[in-house]
Amino acid sequence: MKKQYALPLFLAAVLIVVFAAVAGSGRNASDLPAPPAIGTVIDDFTLPDADGAAQSLASLKGKNGTVLIFIATKCPVSNAYNDRMEKLAEDYKAKGVNVIGINANNTEPAAEVKSHAAEKGLKFTILKDDGNKIADRLGATRTPEAYVLDTKGKLVYHGRIDNSQKTEGITSNDLRDALDEMVAGKAVSKTGGAAFGCTIKRIS
Amino acid sequence: MRLRISFLLASTLTLAMVCVAVLAQQQSSTATNSRAAAPFAADRINKGDDIREINLDDLKKLLQRDGKDTRPLLVNFWATWCDPCREEFPDLVKVDTDYRDKGLNFIAISLDDVTDIKSAVPKFLNEMKARMPVVLLNVNDPEPAIKAVDATWDGQLPATFLYDRDGKIVFKHFGRIQPAELRSAIDKQVSGKQ
Repeated sequence: MKKQYALPLFLAAVLIVVFAAVAGSGRNASDLPAPPAIGTVIDDFTLPDADGAAQSLASLKGKNGTVLIFIATKCPVSNAYNDRMEKLAEDYKAKGVNVIGINANNTEPAAEVKSHAAEKGLKFTILKDDGNKIADRLGATRTPEAYVLDTKGKLVYHGRIDNSQKTEGITSNDLRDALDEMVAGKAVSKTGGAAFGCTIKRIS
Repeated sequence: MRLRISFLLASTLTLAMVCVAVLAQQQSSTATNSRAAAPFAADRINKGDDIREINLDDLKKLLQRDGKDTRPLLVNFWATWCDPCREEFPDLVKVDTDYRDKGLNFIAISLDDVTDIKSAVPKFLNEMKARMPVVLLNVNDPEPAIKAVDATWDGQLPATFLYDRDGKIVFKHFGRIQPAELRSAIDKQVSGKQ
């Protein structure tokens, strides 16, 4: 009789421990792994672009660094940054930094990503992260959300583009400041920043 | 096979016992919660001029409550431009309806642009027949506000936080809520001994 309950009891105990660990981590069960810490080297990955052609991070990276920005077609916050992101890509291309967009929303297919980019004048490469594998690996939660990798692929900045959805309210140009420091060979002084944004629509 | 059945039986029984216990406690504590003075009138439908604009200091005061209101507090950060926020709002309205009389305070904090405070925001709330107090957080730099709420939050919306009577976060969820999960967390707070 006692033996009969040993396994269920054990399983219940395991469940409780797992539940406690999930609850204790401050995130919900449906939530993601934590983003890599600043200083972590981001491994190469390959994703299709909006035309379906496979592109690797290694082939897209800039000689002085790389910016990955999770973006969306429908998120008004991400859309408020379209012009700023395109300008950023142009300004920093000249400085050897490549800007790459990633759309990880399962609600926004590649064709929509492509037409949205054409409509909004986004000329930088946009990758389609089907199944949000890279968003999961990077712990990305919202759009827009930026990651800066140095020449060695090391994460040196992770967070917002700037403090204000409206350009006239910008007082802290966090992403550009980080890029300027990186390009100048300095350590990035402010390695992140929070801002309100749309939750990335993951597969359930 | 027998093991699996007994495990199922054991877990079902445990769940049932927990449910009964929670329900019983909930009923017994319903009467004790109407005392504290609310910072906002709860018995109104939101209309345009009901939505107050708040700044960072107001937000901190609202969350700390300065010991004036010791009800469990549910806070939902949302915006009319945020699709999952709109999708989950009917569930939140139901939570408000079901729990306000049981002693839960619920404040919805809009991150809409302040220019929408008399248009898009009240229009949506009226459509939703929302009766919970709503404020609009207007900050030029969102970071101090986000971090004042929770260090692990990066600002993705919606975000939902449940505070216990002491003002400590006991439940949080980023993205669209799962009503059953939220309700179970609230049950524990409204049925807790004071």
